[in-house]
Amino acid sequence: MCELGKAELFEKLKESLLGFDSVAVRKEVEEAIQTGLPVEEIIEALRGGMEEVGNRYRAGEFFVTDLIVAGEVMREAQEVLEPSMKNASTANLATVVVATVAGDIHDIGKNIFVMLLRAEGFRVIDLGVDVSSEKIIGAVKEYSPEILGLSALLTTNLEEFPKIVDALKVDGFRDKVKVIIGGATVTEQFAREIGVDAYAKTAVEGIGFSRMWIEKSRG
Amino acid sequence: MYNDIMAVYEGREGAKLVFQPRIKHWFDVNLSSGSLPKHYQGMYLDEIYEDLGVTPREVWGYGGTGSEFAGYYALTAIEGDDVEIWTRHSPSRRQSSPTEVDYIVTEYRTPKGTIRQVQRPTEHGTSLMNVEYYLKDLKDIEVYKHILQERNYMWDEARYSWGWKRYGDRLPLRANLQRAPLMWLMIGTMGFQRTVTMLWRYPKEMEELLHILDMDFDKQLEAYKGRPVAELNFVDNIHQDLCPPPYFRKYMIPFFQRIIPKIHAMGMCTTSHWDGFVKQLLPLVQETGLDGLECVTPLPQGDVTLEEMREGMGSMFLRDGIPAVLFCSWVSIETLKDHVSRLIEAFYPRLILGISDLLPANADVERLRLVNEIVKEFNEKL
Repeated sequence: MCELGKAELFEKLKESLLGFDSVAVRKEVEEAIQTGLPVEEIIEALRGGMEEVGNRYRAGEFFVTDLIVAGEVMREAQEVLEPSMKNASTANLATVVVATVAGDIHDIGKNIFVMLLRAEGFRVIDLGVDVSSEKIIGAVKEYSPEILGLSALLTTNLEEFPKIVDALKVDGFRDKVKVIIGGATVTEQFAREIGVDAYAKTAVEGIGFSRMWIEKSRG
Repeated sequence: MYNDIMAVYEGREGAKLVFQPRIKHWFDVNLSSGSLPKHYQGMYLDEIYEDLGVTPREVWGYGGTGSEFAGYYALTAIEGDDVEIWTRHSPSRRQSSPTEVDYIVTEYRTPKGTIRQVQRPTEHGTSLMNVEYYLKDLKDIEVYKHILQERNYMWDEARYSWGWKRYGDRLPLRANLQRAPLMWLMIGTMGFQRTVTMLWRYPKEMEELLHILDMDFDKQLEAYKGRPVAELNFVDNIHQDLCPPPYFRKYMIPFFQRIIPKIHAMGMCTTSHWDGFVKQLLPLVQETGLDGLECVTPLPQGDVTLEEMREGMGSMFLRDGIPAVLFCSWVSIETLKDHVSRLIEAFYPRLILGISDLLPANADVERLRLVNEIVKEFNEKL
């Protein structure tokens, strides 16, 4: 396929993703595979589409519900790509461990963060809700993530954050992992006081920090 | 107190400001974990309200948890003859995080099939969260439609009588309606992400289900007709991330515009519980016809300023308005006092002061007395 044809196809793919047209997205991904385009490039085109979804969310044109539908369309596209991905060099951007801390079972924000991370190409270890600090530290040791994302909604569970940060320090992991926290009752002042790297008011903000850190670390 | 609350409903000026915080969650968790401050140990929740000198709102009532006189679902659902409900759960209340044995499984068995919900208690057994929602696919929707079509509602006279004896002279009866159909699916029966993807994938089937849920409100209202209810509250738990403006315009406004005139015709006023981020929705709220909003949460916990709230709500009244986090020890007392003063200035006389939305379990309960002092001073000057 010539460069112009490729550009047109990828533009169409992006437009279909932005229009949440999963039938068209599947068809265009299949077409791209059949014409022999490298899987890495197709994935990159889809990521470009998701980046635009994030931009439109930040601009107030899209909403969290749109992020969910876009994530669903992206998942379908990945299903089509899956058989072709065996030989492709589609390395993950980075590994992120994510959890809602002990005593808290709220997970909507966390789940959206996870979905967007995956769509961006991050490898995500989602530990779920009501996760003890021991289990979180254990996951950091096991998976050596570049980023640790923690969430809590209830004020009673905010004390879990400094507990985890302290445990990371004691075990010598604090300098190796960026810690980002989120949740409605978290404030920026609180985040600063407990010494995490970032506080994200929304999942999209969290994605922004994650991308920034990874881009910085890669120079 | 009764007349002061009625004055807010009726838009009358000159009445005393009422402070009616929700402290039941704080009480339940601390009672369960043995951490109630010494002064309050051995007291009933009602007595704590009295000791603090604030207006009761949630009390430990007839029927246990959730049976508050000033905000309960005052109806009993009567299921169809061919609908059976099966439930199993462990009655134990655990102190630590629950395990699978604590899960509560509920099944509705009907000729159209069975739907199943799994819930687990939160860490102190004081609330429940859904682990598995009733509605997972189109087949479940068909079962649920059958249940809804067969269901009727009955006024809960026993519970009302209990509450009236204890609070009838002090509090106008405020009862709950179910969440508006969209929010009911998102929070109660289908889950947020699944509701969003089902609306996108199966719009026709979801529209049908939403329509049947909408019609179910006519049955709820029929059961409330002629009852001594002053305020009907939709327990919507609105957050703009769950219900963004396009959803609000498409699903919520038409629903409210159909139902609210019927509530007004019954001589009742109506409110909705908005406890999330609402900045994008406030400009639309007056189109609903609601008389007031409950629990709108300003900065630093919510996403709106008091001025934005006032502007968006127009002449609607506000119940609550003090962010819960201001009752926590890491926020200065001056911040709390300043907020309360500005809130009163912005909303009185269209205000029933309260916490948005609950006193946190680790809050300093004595801060309620400080707020009460501000309210007393304000009322003395009237």
